[in-house]
Amino acid sequence: MCGIAGIARHSAAGVNIDSLGRMAAAIRHRGPDGYGFYVGHRVGLAHLRLSIIDVEGGAQPLTNEDGQIIITYNGEVYNHPELRRELEDRGHVFRTHTDTEVVVHGYEEWGVDVLHRLNGQFAFAIYDRIRDRVFVARDRFGVRPLFYAQQNGDFFFGSEIKAILATGEVESAMDRRGLHESLTLWGSRPPRTPFSGIASLEPGTYGLWKGGALFLHRYYELDYPEAGEEPADVIEQLDELMLRSVGMRMRADVPVGAYLSGGLDSSITSTLAARSSPQTLRTFSITFDDPRFDESSFQREVADTVGSIHQIASIGPRCVAETFPKVLWHAETPLLRTAPVPMYHLAKLTKESGIKVVLTGEGADELFLGYDLFKEVSVRQFCLRQPQSQARQRLFDRLYPYLAGPGKGGEFWRKFFLEAGQPNDPLFSHLPRFLVSARIKDFYTPEFRKSLGGLDVLSELRSALPTRFFGWSALNRAAYLEMTTLLSTYLLSSQGDRMAMAHGVEGRFPFLDHRLFEFSAALPTSSKLLGLHEKEILRRWAARVLPTRINSRGKQPYRAPDAPSFFAEGMPDWIADELTPEAVRRVGIFSPQAVEGLVRRCRSGAATGFRENQAIVGLLSTQLWHRQFVDAAHRISPLPVSGATALFGDSVPVLS
Amino acid sequence: MPITESETTPTAYTYSPNETEQAIMGRVRWFVQENFLYMMPDFVLGDDDRLLERGVVDSMGIAELISFVESEFGVVAAESEISEANFGSLRSISQFVASRQSPAVS
Repeated sequence: MCGIAGIARHSAAGVNIDSLGRMAAAIRHRGPDGYGFYVGHRVGLAHLRLSIIDVEGGAQPLTNEDGQIIITYNGEVYNHPELRRELEDRGHVFRTHTDTEVVVHGYEEWGVDVLHRLNGQFAFAIYDRIRDRVFVARDRFGVRPLFYAQQNGDFFFGSEIKAILATGEVESAMDRRGLHESLTLWGSRPPRTPFSGIASLEPGTYGLWKGGALFLHRYYELDYPEAGEEPADVIEQLDELMLRSVGMRMRADVPVGAYLSGGLDSSITSTLAARSSPQTLRTFSITFDDPRFDESSFQREVADTVGSIHQIASIGPRCVAETFPKVLWHAETPLLRTAPVPMYHLAKLTKESGIKVVLTGEGADELFLGYDLFKEVSVRQFCLRQPQSQARQRLFDRLYPYLAGPGKGGEFWRKFFLEAGQPNDPLFSHLPRFLVSARIKDFYTPEFRKSLGGLDVLSELRSALPTRFFGWSALNRAAYLEMTTLLSTYLLSSQGDRMAMAHGVEGRFPFLDHRLFEFSAALPTSSKLLGLHEKEILRRWAARVLPTRINSRGKQPYRAPDAPSFFAEGMPDWIADELTPEAVRRVGIFSPQAVEGLVRRCRSGAATGFRENQAIVGLLSTQLWHRQFVDAAHRISPLPVSGATALFGDSVPVLS
Repeated sequence: MPITESETTPTAYTYSPNETEQAIMGRVRWFVQENFLYMMPDFVLGDDDRLLERGVVDSMGIAELISFVESEFGVVAAESEISEANFGSLRSISQFVASRQSPAVS
């Protein structure tokens, strides 16, 4: 896993190596093991290396045999040995053992269609000197990031936005709509970002830049061709897919570890990883000092069962407030949750323990309908068929026992779910969540609200849905929305790639193997959510590999304390500094009067609801984001050319 | 004409049920304003507006209102009483509190 960046000029002005050096320096954390540059007349590529495969021989940028195809690549293609054999049979000569070179020769052989053959997580840029074009692409589900900007025909790109800003050529300015979308959906939807003029390449798409213009194409679509019945050998199929997916993701020339939360998904990935690991598996988890959130004893129990050497990062009461500015710098977007903080510390612990690749359980909840949100959809549909039935509404008490009970709100919160929308609304599944988070705009200044020009994030989302969406069942619609509005835009990015790569740790996601996704998408939804039993088929299969007490454990919602994290005794100064009326007014997004009320309620401990918790995290993160990205100058010294492990230009290789 | 002491001293004065309701509603409105509408100073909340429907409170907000009613007026609502009829609007809350505070009249 690595970091990539580059510039392609429309004019023949050339690329300055210092610009590439600054881009690389801005994302050095992604690839601490080495760096390299290609500096051509029109195109320049930078690469930061985290060496995992072919540790000795895999320096980048890398070329094909005649130097006409040049790549800078971030990611892993897990089926590289199979593709390599196929390409060798067709006469391609390999110089390294890397998956990177497989992509180079694959592109030579199949052109952009190589993407259909890659099984993995990647973002890359290929400069094709023969066709005089730059080919950029991103994996199917958006595990690896790629941002870009176009200015006067010039094209800038990078794994993180800060690489683009480091050129000093692209202005760092707020995109009000992108910012509002981030604060409504937890993350902006690609191509939009909170930065004006900087776009995110959509997962499952690629771009061809030629002659000063970028042409975007989609190569992968999420589809849910739900079958009426399970195939007879469904468990055997799932078994084969799971074993193969984990097996492929254990391919590395360095030890592979695993995140192990104690839940079903990571217990599965860790158990399978332990079986195929040549050494004792190392596993990692996070817990909170607060005994209400402490899951360490269960985590250790699961680790004992898995047979791993387990380490736990413990999050203390001051940790969130102290780390939040760093986390935000890596996330590059305002946040509504503090959950990325523990993930940042988990990656830190992992790296300090000498592990730079981990398997995680991310994706299982989306594929096998694990989240409460999916159950909520079923219950809401069931209740709305007979809205007067109190007995039906009692199902909400079973779904959210912590919301039910004496003095908690009685019929009101059930009513909230019932009134949040009707099943004929395409966003039906997500309206309870979206309607709460959309209330962030109550905290805006009237001027900022006005400047959004009537932007309706939900209407835009409705109109962006593909036609086939309307043929899917309610649960598959919900799964699609979860994949596209939360998984790639928040979980895999702010909470995933950005936190792991802050410490040079690569996450690998066995559940996000596209064949596994296609398998799950074609199952009847009842195989996934049966009544209120989530991940039914996964549990049925997991009985083969996990002890019953782990397999039958219900989902523990991942909870990080939000508002209280910033308002205890002895908090760092930045919080008070960002909350002064002057600071709030200077940024101009949140109303000082609203902030005053919000802070008063947070300080008194009264802000316990979702709306205010999201508002305080949204407020603090927006203030910090503005300070770190919009106000800052983004001056950074370039990485020295002398330290590069690969350096070449258009004529002969300069080095390497 | 000078006011004599006897004329200024109220004798056995009691709030009419309606006045009680008004006073209660004033307190409830203040609480709602201070805790749920502080970020929207221009929001106009009518006495009969539905709090949930207008997005003034969410389920957590209702729980706060219930505990406010308990601490402020000493009225403990049973689970079955936490309903739209009793907690749905400023007026329904005030009527509910007033009915529970006033001595039972046969």
